[in-house]
Amino acid sequence: MKLEVGYIQIRDISLADESRIDDGVLYINTKELEELALEDEHLEAVSFDVARPGESIRITPVKDVIEPRAKVEGPGDVFPGVVTKMSTVGSGKTHVLRGAAVVTVGKIVGFQEGIIDMTGLGAEYTPFSATNNLVVNFTPKEGLTAHEYEAAIRKAGLKIAYAVGKLGVSHKPDEIKVYEFPSIIEATKLYPDLPRVGYVLMLQSQGLLHDTYVYGVDMKQSLTTMLSPTEIMDGAILSGNCVSACDKNTTYHHQNNPVIEDLFEEHGKTLNFVALIITNENVYLADKIRSSDWTAKLVNYLDLDGVIISQEGFGNPDTDLIMNCKKIEETGTHTVIITDEYAGRDGTSQSLADADPSADALVTAGNANQVVTLPKLDRVIGTLDYTDKIAGGYAGSLADDGTITVEIQAITGSTNELGFSRLSAR
Amino acid sequence: MSKFRVVHYINQFYAGIGGEEFADHKPEVREGVVGPGMALAGAFGDKAEIISTVVCGDSFFNENVAEAKKTILDMVKKANPDIFIAGPAFNAGRYGVACGTICEAVKEELNIPVITGMFEENPGTDMFKDKMYIVATKPSAAGMRDAIPVIAALALKLAGKEKIGASVEEGYLPNNTRVNFFEKERGSRRAVDMLIKKMAGKPFVTEYPMPDFDRVEPNPAVNDFKSITVALVTSGGIVPKGNPDHIESSSASKYGEYDITGVNDLTAETYETAHGGYDPVYANADADRVLPVDVMRDFEREGIIGKLHNKFYTTVGNGTSTKSSKQFAAEYAQKLKNDNVQAVILTST
Amino acid sequence: MDIVVTNNPLVKAQYEDRYTVNFIETDLLGILTAVRNLIHKGHQLLTHPLMGSVKPNESPYKSVVISKITESTNAQSVTVIEESIQAAKKFSPRDIPEQCLNDLQVVDLSLISSAIDYNK
Repeated sequence: MKLEVGYIQIRDISLADESRIDDGVLYINTKELEELALEDEHLEAVSFDVARPGESIRITPVKDVIEPRAKVEGPGDVFPGVVTKMSTVGSGKTHVLRGAAVVTVGKIVGFQEGIIDMTGLGAEYTPFSATNNLVVNFTPKEGLTAHEYEAAIRKAGLKIAYAVGKLGVSHKPDEIKVYEFPSIIEATKLYPDLPRVGYVLMLQSQGLLHDTYVYGVDMKQSLTTMLSPTEIMDGAILSGNCVSACDKNTTYHHQNNPVIEDLFEEHGKTLNFVALIITNENVYLADKIRSSDWTAKLVNYLDLDGVIISQEGFGNPDTDLIMNCKKIEETGTHTVIITDEYAGRDGTSQSLADADPSADALVTAGNANQVVTLPKLDRVIGTLDYTDKIAGGYAGSLADDGTITVEIQAITGSTNELGFSRLSAR
Repeated sequence: MSKFRVVHYINQFYAGIGGEEFADHKPEVREGVVGPGMALAGAFGDKAEIISTVVCGDSFFNENVAEAKKTILDMVKKANPDIFIAGPAFNAGRYGVACGTICEAVKEELNIPVITGMFEENPGTDMFKDKMYIVATKPSAAGMRDAIPVIAALALKLAGKEKIGASVEEGYLPNNTRVNFFEKERGSRRAVDMLIKKMAGKPFVTEYPMPDFDRVEPNPAVNDFKSITVALVTSGGIVPKGNPDHIESSSASKYGEYDITGVNDLTAETYETAHGGYDPVYANADADRVLPVDVMRDFEREGIIGKLHNKFYTTVGNGTSTKSSKQFAAEYAQKLKNDNVQAVILTST
Repeated sequence: MDIVVTNNPLVKAQYEDRYTVNFIETDLLGILTAVRNLIHKGHQLLTHPLMGSVKPNESPYKSVVISKITESTNAQSVTVIEESIQAAKKFSPRDIPEQCLNDLQVVDLSLISSAIDYNK
């Protein structure tokens, strides 16, 4: 597959009468987007705000972050099987509104979703303090179940991101990158002397608020499988994961998977990037054994020399991670794993819930229990009522002076296990 | 701003008194800078001043720990520094242990921040790295030039009660306390670089060493005890009264092999524990509590087991390194096999 | 055929007709401890005790599925439950607001039913 990705740099977002992109400014007519969102009968109301880098704004509780993208040349269009019709994506041309993000906000259950601070200490820990954010706040109809509400927000957010992304289709990109992912046979012929490398992408799949969708399929119902990394760039993988803000992969993270980008960077130079394997993180121990058997089996069939394995979430996915690592190492393939740590507030507890000597090459995204005090900011988009309940917060975390003291696990993307950020620990 | 006051601790060798033959030199305090303190003073510039240097022989310190500690604590207390620096000790074992011991005492009893420096394989490293900042040095004094600026910089931060960064940033040995910091490259890039090195067989450094566990698959259960010889092995330090082989109360460097032919009960008169890591009162009163010879003899009489092996093996688990433990076990496991022992009961404390 | 050990009333209501539900009025660690005790009696652990990314101090509710059949103690089950208990103890306890309790029951139910219903 060959995908040409055109990046259109967005330097500001402005609410306006007409939706358009002009000189790097994204103008949004919210009326149109509101109508689009309210097509879903589960949603009562929707409101829009803009949060720019450096502004004194706190966004919470964040559900998902999505980068506006749309395809210029098909087949198919972004978010296939969910927002657009089912079609295999990952080839042709795609335009990206770089520097812009749609951030969905809403209280699905009374806890858990993350914080994005646009300035101050908190801003250092989230990548989304550097994007111009169109924040969409949803109010559900009365009596909606948590499942229905989660699905409604997830889809409405994607629809909005797609609609915004389409504004860039006729624009000339500021930068173009071409990603080619040939068949494994061709790839091996192309660089016969370079080590053949794969990427095992573990996807959270445990149930309500913990799900990931691939072409619309709930990943917990799928066996370990393969796709082209370019399909992910076109939104083949979508986040329904609302829990553990620090180390969940938002849709934006999937669209911009940094392991894929950095493997492409080295492709043809020091390594030959030939395979992307996706696997799930289910609740049943038997599922964990089956899925990790399959990753090792695929790695073995593909005769890979090395793989990077990335994790998503806290606690029991450590078990999936270690099973994957151990079984793949047993096939004689080298592994490097990416995870984050829960070493306690003082950093002295055991970091992982599972461990094995075969995991001898580990990259850490930091200790999620680290405590930070975030300053009072001028504006809150969303609600602060739940800050106490957000992961990492605790009773009394919202002080009288408006500062909040939380563990960084409350901050969206702070210890992302795709290795999206620079935070680490020793 | 006034200068931070520093007290520096060194051994007889670095004080220029002499080598091993002068190692029983008693603690003395000298005004100002001595030996490596010169380089430290240079690194401090006008930010800190070494007001005095404590010199003590390594043998004296390690053989008279209580007395040495007390004398030196008095000296440090009198000087009342903002920071106490010991060494660096490089790979000198007794010097390292002395540096760690005195630093711990100064920190705990005088509440003064401390810092030392050692090579990662110095025995003092394992004993003290979780209790204080130990700057990583090369094995020999040839590493002085590299070590001094790192020690000086970290000492100034400690004296100023500044926030201390992660081990890789500050240069101290990893101490089982995880500290966050921002790397130069993002995680994915570091993972790709690590994989390239790993595939090429080049050295790489994991960012989180797996906890050091040496899991051993248990052997299948023994079905029939009636006809076999069972041995007792303990890390609880049970030894014949008087500890004839002088097994150390912590960080044991040896194990003992003792004959129990005809012994039916371990009594306060005949056995005791050498272990320094738990309250020995109950073990000393009746060592069967740790090494159940009495019960095993009952089993033998009742025919539940074939026979209790006539020797037991013992060491002290307290602070003893995994490496030594493995080495001990490999040796006596072979002996047990040679003696046709088919099952072993391992007791700890 | 399996046993659900839970302190979540919603899970009890949902499954007690079809499964053996061992409902215990206790906190999260109480459930993990009860499960550990059952594992040592020979039940096998079927779901991961730390399912979900809801941290152990963020929800009082926990449901775990174990086998009804008892065999000799399963070593993997012992390892997983012990590591889970250790991990759970790492989190300092905190107050969970009353108005969140129902939501937390729903999430726990959803997680455990995603396991039970897909593995029927």
